[in-house]
Amino acid sequence: MLRYFLRKLFVYGLTFVLAVTIDWSIPHLMPGNPVLTLMGRIQIQDPKVAQQLYAHYMRAFNLDLPLWKQYWYFWVSLFHGDLGTSILQFPSSVTSIIVHAAPYTLGLLIPAILLSWYAGNKVGALAARRKVLDNTVLPLGYALTATPYMWLAIILSWTLAVIWRVFPVGYGYDPTATRGFTWAFIGSLAYHWFLPFMSLFLVSFGGWAIGMRNMIIYELESDYAHYLGALGAPQRLIRKYAFRNAMLPQITGLALSLGTILGGALVTEIVFSYPGLGYQIYRAITNEDYFVIQGIFLFIIIGVLVANFLIDIAYLIVDPRTRTGMMAGGGS
Amino acid sequence: MKRIWTRTAAGLALAALAMIVFSSAASGSGRAPAAGYPRDATLITSGTQWGNIAGTNPYVGNYAAGMVGLVNETLLRYDPIKDVYINWLAKSAKWTGPKQYTLVVRSGIKWADGKAFTGNDVKYNVGLGHFNTAFWNNLWQNVRTIPVKGNTVVFNFKGTPNYVQWQNLMWNLPMISPTQARPLITSSAKLTTYSPANPVGTGPYKIDTTGWDPTTRVVFVRKSTWWAAAQHLSPSPKPKYIIDLVNTSNTNSLNAVLAGVEDLNNNFLPGVNTLVKQGKVQTYYKSSPYMLSANTAWLEPNTRVKPLNDLYFRKALAEALNPKQYASVAESGLVRTANSTGLLPTWNKYVNRTAVTKYGFKYSTSAAKALLKAHGYKLVGGYFTNKDGSAINLDISVPQGWSDWEAARDMIIANAKAAGIRITAKVKDYNTWQSDRNTGKFDLVIDNAYQISDNPWTYWNGIFHMPVITKGTGQTFANFERYNNTTAWKLVQRLDKTPPSQKTTIMSINKQLQTILMQRLPMIPLWYNGVWAQFTSQHWKNWPSSTTSRKYMPAMWRGYLQMTGIDMITHLAPR
Repeated sequence: MLRYFLRKLFVYGLTFVLAVTIDWSIPHLMPGNPVLTLMGRIQIQDPKVAQQLYAHYMRAFNLDLPLWKQYWYFWVSLFHGDLGTSILQFPSSVTSIIVHAAPYTLGLLIPAILLSWYAGNKVGALAARRKVLDNTVLPLGYALTATPYMWLAIILSWTLAVIWRVFPVGYGYDPTATRGFTWAFIGSLAYHWFLPFMSLFLVSFGGWAIGMRNMIIYELESDYAHYLGALGAPQRLIRKYAFRNAMLPQITGLALSLGTILGGALVTEIVFSYPGLGYQIYRAITNEDYFVIQGIFLFIIIGVLVANFLIDIAYLIVDPRTRTGMMAGGGS
Repeated sequence: MKRIWTRTAAGLALAALAMIVFSSAASGSGRAPAAGYPRDATLITSGTQWGNIAGTNPYVGNYAAGMVGLVNETLLRYDPIKDVYINWLAKSAKWTGPKQYTLVVRSGIKWADGKAFTGNDVKYNVGLGHFNTAFWNNLWQNVRTIPVKGNTVVFNFKGTPNYVQWQNLMWNLPMISPTQARPLITSSAKLTTYSPANPVGTGPYKIDTTGWDPTTRVVFVRKSTWWAAAQHLSPSPKPKYIIDLVNTSNTNSLNAVLAGVEDLNNNFLPGVNTLVKQGKVQTYYKSSPYMLSANTAWLEPNTRVKPLNDLYFRKALAEALNPKQYASVAESGLVRTANSTGLLPTWNKYVNRTAVTKYGFKYSTSAAKALLKAHGYKLVGGYFTNKDGSAINLDISVPQGWSDWEAARDMIIANAKAAGIRITAKVKDYNTWQSDRNTGKFDLVIDNAYQISDNPWTYWNGIFHMPVITKGTGQTFANFERYNNTTAWKLVQRLDKTPPSQKTTIMSINKQLQTILMQRLPMIPLWYNGVWAQFTSQHWKNWPSSTTSRKYMPAMWRGYLQMTGIDMITHLAPR
């Protein structure tokens, strides 16, 4: 068991180093100079002042150093818990930006992932054995899962927010609301959360429903199901076993799809101007805010790796074969 | 097991939702009204802040919109519609000698912390210029002494003052409280990171820290007393709260205005002219051009690139263009066409009409073709070639996503094609566009780098500034067309150093500069970008309008509140 976890930790550690290196490199490969963008907002009429300010900001952001040194300092800062200072939002720290934005993204993402996974699997399993449901869920599921997150978000925003004005078009809460632990404010948050949530939920739901429906049909047609039937086991018991076996690929699928759903959440936030990490990263990319891009992606990298690790553990719990194999083989 | 999974999933989902509530709500306890900001007492604006609100540092440039004007005020203000200065924190401010500027601070002004605003406060604020990260550091370098006697502050200069830049500083430098700033601004670096949560100012509002959310909004709450209202210099503003929202997108902004979420929006919203006609929104003018002018949009040729280094080619290109079409179609008639000098309507008094008639360019495809032929360019297969026979294919770029400019770019390409000039669009995001412009990696760009100001010197300085920096950062703030004209540059410098009393000299220099511009065409003025402003009277009335006495700048943009934007706010009345 220990060897298994050590091996996993090594793989995750290596992935982390590689992902963080890519995370650092990509913003630095972008054309343009973010300091010039920052200076473009300052009222400068004199070349000497411009040069002084330019030198000051380049020094402040370590951008005057050779790339290898910038990379080294990035890791040093990282281990000191310092993600740097935003260029676009100077002098705000990247950590403060993430602290403000992350709850919105996690509040959107986690319910969307878990509820769509749960509901999709449930409905998919039901569809596998009820023809009426199968005839409706199957095409609907295909349509939903084939829909890009952004496109569904635009459709929902356009119809429900712009045309019918049932929901708001942007922001995380009503601009005139005062924040506090009041039902009015919680209601306002929920009201602004609903459409972005539904965009993510519906697309993911379709995928899980189809996946589970197909897996259940496959499992019900397998030898062990027929054997159980021949032994006189009730259909309810057979379906229960089929459902359990069908869950395994769905758990693997959940791990694999985290990145896709996360990407979906980022673009959904942009469509709804929802003030989460996706919206922040969009602003950061368009303004070459290196440190915000790096910081948010780092947060995402850690999040995805931790989630995958948790799913690995869940897999151990759910699948007795993995547990047994690990015990017998000393952990592979 | 199944129940455990279900419960775990539901628990995690609920926990995530609780996290939004907690993190959003936790920072909002305090003295804000419990039931939300009352809409009938709240003015909601948007259109200035892109991205999170950076803080309250008034020197960095991305501070909370509205702060300078609502919280921190300036010594003078400037009215660009009437072209007059307004004495504000200063009762008077004038040149009292060739190297002396005397300013008298108004009595009875108090900071939000109750302390009196004094002459020494002015000295402290201007003195921050000794930090080399201050944008007015170049002007401070020329200050010899600042004796203060009571409310009178005298600035004695070492050499000839930069009269124009100094006057410009007087209405652009926000006064911050020395009591609050002194312990915090202790170095050049700290001048750039200074950002108090609750800045102490002299203005009519203060920041409502309970409403502060950098991802969404800044909230200002009205102070109980404001010196300008007490001294009957201005009506007291009626909105108890002002909320400036972070920009989302043009589409969302448009919906927010129509739905009455926003009272004033300062984004460029294509098609707003239609909404004005339908009576859904209002603008400063009831018909075209709808908007006041904010800056000049021009076609910027890279004068170091062949054949744009040839004056006659530039002239032919100018004659091939149809700016009226760009203003009426690409800009939906929301702007005015620029005259050949590019001088904004605010600077009309400087325009030399005779010179414009004589040297100004006019749209004529045939004249453009004739000019090129006359100067050795050969028409081959519908397009002109260079004099040496090599093909001409210029690129043109605008920041990607600026839809009006993209439309104008396509029209420019079509106009040029009709005159036999091949131009191809190059798509660049804003940063690449800016970086390439600064470092000279372009043939043609549409640009509008210089905003309206109290003196056309800012415009001329932008066009003719020298020397051209070809290495490192390149051109950071001026002369992106890389035009080399020492005569023009000397005139620009002379204009800055000419006392405002020498009106004839000032006029003469301006005439010479515009003649050089029109004769040499280092850039080609196209139209005047608007002070984009659309508002509704669902909650507030008495908006600025060309047909009433309320001729004010309807904008919350940075730098515009001291240009009568504050008068817009003080004249609003609840519906």
